[in-house]
Amino acid sequence: MARDHILVGLEIGTSKICVVVGDSKPDGSIKILGVGQAPSRGVRKGEIVDFDTAQKCVHEALVDAEEKSDVMIQSVYLGITGAHINSFNNRGMVAIPEEQEEITEAECDSVRSSAREVSIPSQNMFIHSILQHYYVDGQEGVLNPVGMLGHQLEADFHIIHGIGTRVKNAVRCVKEIPLEVEDVVFTPLAAAQVVLNQHQKNLGALAIDIGGGTTDYLMYVDGAVRQSGSLGIGGDHITNDISMGLRIPMARAEKLKIEEGSVTLGNCLPGETVTLKDDSGFAGKEVERETLNTVIHMRVRETFDLLKRQLEAGGDLHLLGAGIFITGGTSQLRGIDHLAQEIFELPVQVTHAQTMSGLTSAFENPQFSTAIGLIKYAQAVQMDRPSGWLSKFTQRIPLFGRRR
Amino acid sequence: MIEFNHKQQLASNAADQVLIKVVGLGGAGLNVIDRIVLDGAVPGADLVVMNTDVQSLTSSVASQKVQLGRGVTRGLGAGGDPELGLGAAEEAQEDIRKALEGAGLIFLCVGLGGGTGSGAAPLVTSLARENGALVVVIATMPFAFEGKRRSRQAEDALITLQATADAIICFENDVMGETVAPKAGIHQAFAAADETISQCVRAVSSIFIQPGMLHIGFDDLCSALRPAVGAGRCLFGYGEATGDNRAHEALARALRNPLMDRGRMLDESHNLLVNVAGGPDMTFHEVQTLMEALVKFTGEETQMFFGAAVDQTLAGRIGVTVISSAQMALPAAAAAPAQEFVPRVIPTPVPAPKVARHKPRPEPEIEPEAEPAAYAPEPGEEPATATVEEPEPILAAATAEAGEEEGQASFLGLAPAADAEPQTTPVRVPRAPRQPRILSSASDPTPLSPAAAAKREERQETLQFEPVTRGRFEKSEPTIVDGQDLDVPTFLRRNVKVS
Repeated sequence: MARDHILVGLEIGTSKICVVVGDSKPDGSIKILGVGQAPSRGVRKGEIVDFDTAQKCVHEALVDAEEKSDVMIQSVYLGITGAHINSFNNRGMVAIPEEQEEITEAECDSVRSSAREVSIPSQNMFIHSILQHYYVDGQEGVLNPVGMLGHQLEADFHIIHGIGTRVKNAVRCVKEIPLEVEDVVFTPLAAAQVVLNQHQKNLGALAIDIGGGTTDYLMYVDGAVRQSGSLGIGGDHITNDISMGLRIPMARAEKLKIEEGSVTLGNCLPGETVTLKDDSGFAGKEVERETLNTVIHMRVRETFDLLKRQLEAGGDLHLLGAGIFITGGTSQLRGIDHLAQEIFELPVQVTHAQTMSGLTSAFENPQFSTAIGLIKYAQAVQMDRPSGWLSKFTQRIPLFGRRR
Repeated sequence: MIEFNHKQQLASNAADQVLIKVVGLGGAGLNVIDRIVLDGAVPGADLVVMNTDVQSLTSSVASQKVQLGRGVTRGLGAGGDPELGLGAAEEAQEDIRKALEGAGLIFLCVGLGGGTGSGAAPLVTSLARENGALVVVIATMPFAFEGKRRSRQAEDALITLQATADAIICFENDVMGETVAPKAGIHQAFAAADETISQCVRAVSSIFIQPGMLHIGFDDLCSALRPAVGAGRCLFGYGEATGDNRAHEALARALRNPLMDRGRMLDESHNLLVNVAGGPDMTFHEVQTLMEALVKFTGEETQMFFGAAVDQTLAGRIGVTVISSAQMALPAAAAAPAQEFVPRVIPTPVPAPKVARHKPRPEPEIEPEAEPAAYAPEPGEEPATATVEEPEPILAAATAEAGEEEGQASFLGLAPAADAEPQTTPVRVPRAPRQPRILSSASDPTPLSPAAAAKREERQETLQFEPVTRGRFEKSEPTIVDGQDLDVPTFLRRNVKVS
């Protein structure tokens, strides 16, 4: 099997570092060969704060993945996130020269760069510019203008940008291992590739990836990316809230959240308690279930409220025909779909990576959606299908060759 | 919409016609009235206080005051003697009658166990009924730490009241005090109890006043308060909430009420009265989800009396009232020792109080005979097996000792209602601090000190949190949206007390 077909996704998450090794088949399907992971340290809210520690953890995860998949990993697609990442929509325009009638690839490229001619903060860099729609002489809904006749080519792009140094830090962390970074991908874009299918993207769908440190989202309307972003709130915050509210250590709070936590209020008997099991021999502490759930509920509700406010600012929330798809580790919180449904007033489902073969346990776990999504994204980029909308992602950023 | 307003008007007219009086009798009753005034709980109702103690009367904020026993007690209290209390009330009969005149519905708040409350309550009740008013007695039973004598007096008074009042809602201070933090002063425990009663008066009166789309009548209330068999005690909860999740929150608050603390007991209740009141913006869906959530707590056999009302003053809010009476299931453990003790009790001259402990609670208008009949077989059988043991000697000879033993005997054997508290209280104490919300919201009506104490406690808590508010995110870049540091737990920023 040619090495070219092996694709590796690396996600440096707040709670865990995850490496997924997949085999891209010529027919477009992907087989998951192995998943390596390591608990993450030195990462807060999706961003590396302790370089050396984080690097060690990445290394651990890579070794784990190599063992499990029996593949030498040489290059990865790196998922990045963080609240510094922002997005907007912009329209680019080029005039077709008089002597030339047909639109060529060159014009498509120049319209992309013209779309990027907007001011973003000087420290920021472009991460993605994702094509939404072409317009040829004002005609809407052109999928592929190459070969068409026209005088003016316009295109809407969804542009994702973030603080350059932070993106580069993540890349450097991986490069020093050493490992090649093929591309950096904003994580919800990756996750959306596997939790949403084309039909849902066309209908309009919102993918929310609630991880340990961040809540990332990406909205598709009419098959094109319309909004995306990242909130610096995640499962860690819930754990921290529990830890402070109930005065228990973080580790205990995390366990309590996973085993007993729920966002649904009024669902337990008054005075119903949860006993904290303690293996160190101390007397178990009793925690009122409703209290626990109230703490979780308030945080999750606030997060969704915030998200809703951001999305409403874009004004596309009513265009979501397929609804909302929640994934990521925190999506496993009990009742989160009902709460989201109540807040967004849209159909909500908790989902995981679809349309994969191989390790079932891997892709059925919402924790791995992003890492698997990275592979799917990579595949789309590499296959470079001319008709595929994904091929338009491939604007590579020529920044990662540097080494200290 | 127009039609709706019309209804509203009609209803308020109707409310005008029925004059509600809330009467506080005795020291405890006075405190409750003060609390009701402070809460503004029952708008439009006349508040009347009656007491033997002039000093407390003058300090009361109620509009109408009746001094009992000008000659008998001369402005002093009844000294914990019900006889004296009754005498004082008899002396002031005319004043009482005048004070109660014209009322259609009377809430009589009384703390049983003392002199004035226990002694005068039956007389006041019958005077009120003579005037043609419906009388709902809201009685509190004394705390266990107030001593056995007071409990006995309270029970005696309760039996008498049973015969005279239309409905009795009986609160047990012990249960209500459970939610108070162990370190809280005794006055706070009383204040918490007063607050619950104030809520109850408000809730019950508003059920009658408010125009209900699904109306709950007095008969429904009586049924809800009537336990299926024998012993029962009032389960009452009221909760109010705003916001998106208000239906759930209101119910949660209602169930978090001290008397509902054993929400599990709803499972055993046979009749349950639920009244949902909300502003015009209350949606059917909210009512539906609320009821669905509530039904989870009840048994299959439970009969629901459901009422829904729109109250303009509740705009944006939803209030839920849950009233029921729980039958005290005889625990197996308690049933066994009963066999030893019952025979001893039967021949004594005081079987009435024993039975009374069972049935008195919230039994409105059941003929007193019905219940004893239900219990008759039980004592009847026992004597056959062990009648002759040592019945009278113990009681006659060693009265002092037996008095206590007998008390225990009845606790263990016959009166689980009363029994529940002494047994469970110690177990529950550690749980109490979880409910400081009730505590802190109890801005006390009576003395200044508890309010100060509550404030002091609150402040301390905030201070404690200050240095650690961001927890594990201490060293990371803050996530600030709309000026709020989102790393600080939401419940802290929203000032919700959770532990």
